[in-house]
Amino acid sequence: MENLVQIALQNVNLAAIMPSLVLVCFGMGLLLINVFLPRGTTRPAVWISLVGIVVTAVVTVQGWGNPQYGFSDAVALDNFATFFNVTFLLAAALTILMSDDYLRREGYAVNEYYPLILFTTAGAMWMASGTDMMTIFLGLEVMSISLYVLAGFFRGQSASNEAGLKYFLLGAFSTGFLLYGMALIYGVTGSTRLTEIGAYLNSHSSLLANPMTLAGLVLLSIGFLFKLGAAPFHMWTPDVYQGAPTPVTAFMSAGPKAAAFAAFLRTLEYCFFGLKPEWSAMLWVLAVLTMTVGNVIAISQTNIKRMLAYSSISHAGYALVGLVAANEIGYSGVLFYMLAYTFMNIGAFAVLILVGKQGEENLTLEGFAGLGYKRPLLGVAMSVFLFALMGLPPTAGFAGKFYIFAGAVKAGYIWLAIIGVLNSAVSLYYYLRVMVYMYFRDPTEDYAWISLPVSVLATIILAVIGCLYLGILPNEVMAMAKTAIF
Amino acid sequence: MIASVVFYLLAAATLAATLLCITRTSPVHAVIYLVHAFFDLALIFYLFGAPLVAAWEMIIYAGAIMVLFLFIIMMLELAPGGKPLTVDRRRWIPVLLLSLVTLGCTVLLIVLDPAAAGSGAAFHASPREFGTALFDRYALAVQVVSFQLLFAAVGAYYVGKGEPRARGDNP
Repeated sequence: MENLVQIALQNVNLAAIMPSLVLVCFGMGLLLINVFLPRGTTRPAVWISLVGIVVTAVVTVQGWGNPQYGFSDAVALDNFATFFNVTFLLAAALTILMSDDYLRREGYAVNEYYPLILFTTAGAMWMASGTDMMTIFLGLEVMSISLYVLAGFFRGQSASNEAGLKYFLLGAFSTGFLLYGMALIYGVTGSTRLTEIGAYLNSHSSLLANPMTLAGLVLLSIGFLFKLGAAPFHMWTPDVYQGAPTPVTAFMSAGPKAAAFAAFLRTLEYCFFGLKPEWSAMLWVLAVLTMTVGNVIAISQTNIKRMLAYSSISHAGYALVGLVAANEIGYSGVLFYMLAYTFMNIGAFAVLILVGKQGEENLTLEGFAGLGYKRPLLGVAMSVFLFALMGLPPTAGFAGKFYIFAGAVKAGYIWLAIIGVLNSAVSLYYYLRVMVYMYFRDPTEDYAWISLPVSVLATIILAVIGCLYLGILPNEVMAMAKTAIF
Repeated sequence: MIASVVFYLLAAATLAATLLCITRTSPVHAVIYLVHAFFDLALIFYLFGAPLVAAWEMIIYAGAIMVLFLFIIMMLELAPGGKPLTVDRRRWIPVLLLSLVTLGCTVLLIVLDPAAAGSGAAFHASPREFGTALFDRYALAVQVVSFQLLFAAVGAYYVGKGEPRARGDNP
């Protein structure tokens, strides 16, 4: 006992993880409160989680322009992390707003849902602010484990079970790749801190051509690309997105995808700036593949939920173009696009929830026939989201794609930009087809079952405002995104 | 020289054991081979001069996790039922071979003492050094892991709960 060492926790700086701490505290408080709520009462949980998100958002926004570093550089709450944190919080808030009535309709008005959404968001925050491989990895695990449960949330439905199990097995497999890559990089550089890895590789430039470094980079990329749903690691996406509860699908394709982009971008830029030509070339191929695979397969889908799953693959491809460009406008374009995609995608899924019937029925194209006349408000909202997903002005999708492709052109990747634009043209077909059904087909139903609860209406209105605001006045947000990158 | 021979022997044994593990039809046999792989892996760690990691590999993986595996297999009765297990002497051959390799390497390592030979002093970490690093440099990771265990418990509780569907009480 004589040689007791006292460990002084140095540089803890809780301010650097304050947003996630607040969110986790609300989540854990919610778990306790749930015990005392009668079964089937979910309104208080909805309100408390929304209050938690708003409080976290206030804490987060205060950190803008005031970067905090903590835990001896294991975590950095800089503008980059703050921008992404706002995106995650928006995705979580919109998801929670549209979930309650849907869960009630499907017979799963269970309180565990809301804490799990908050925990997923906290994991995403740790990923976006992690400047240490361990922080990023553990953030990813926190996020994924909560998502596995959420994807399989409808315990009695085999499709949801399948989604949960498939996501779990493939997710665990891809995590193995990520961890293997991290281990190899640690073996080469002797550190897990991103900045230290970058500095070490920079000062020992012979290591850049070392097969172990390259293998580490490739394995790391595979881990992240799986979470992005980029081709050829996209196989899980359609089944999981189709089987999972619709709000969870909306959330998964917005929040966690943005988190994977955040961690991937930071890792590439902090550690592997010396290998930029190499990973740019690799991502060039993957971006083209991802865009094309997503768009081409989406054409043949008749189930709209599955179509949106494939479209989400292609959108990951568009965002990858920004990573390939690897310049200021490309990177900030990725940030902007993730925010814009959150609005348009969650909005489209919210309309899908309203049009769907109990038991995940009526999600086919036929189910939308004549919706634009019977339910003009929903029709207009869905049109806005579809225009945004297509990337037509004056919506957020156009501005986002414009910045990303401009970045690619500026970096000299003219062909990549051309392929991207051609892909957008392909996507017009399947997005417009939904509108054709909404406006040019005679209604087969009277859509009498559609009730418009205030919470879902709020989701749709917020999403429409987001889509139009980011589309018409993108400069302000884009300027923020530019100060957010490194 | 001897160290690298031992390493390749152990590496081959690990690969063989894992290969046998994933090809066995009886889950109990698979688990036995997996335990073998963990033993060999632990010896490799020891060979590289990381006795602490070797000890964990034994205690945590071969000890705790494998017992859990076996326990679950027994609880679920995954063993192929109906067909009585015939005593086939030939199925003992691979496991005996692997055991001999593992045992031989263990004895060799004890005699050689690779840590003293300086084959991997760089990796040598005392439990104290490890603990200091864990609670200083990786303090945040420890916090996040503890959060994660809680979240996983919530998820496991929800998924494992029976199926009384909680219908909404106000339609």
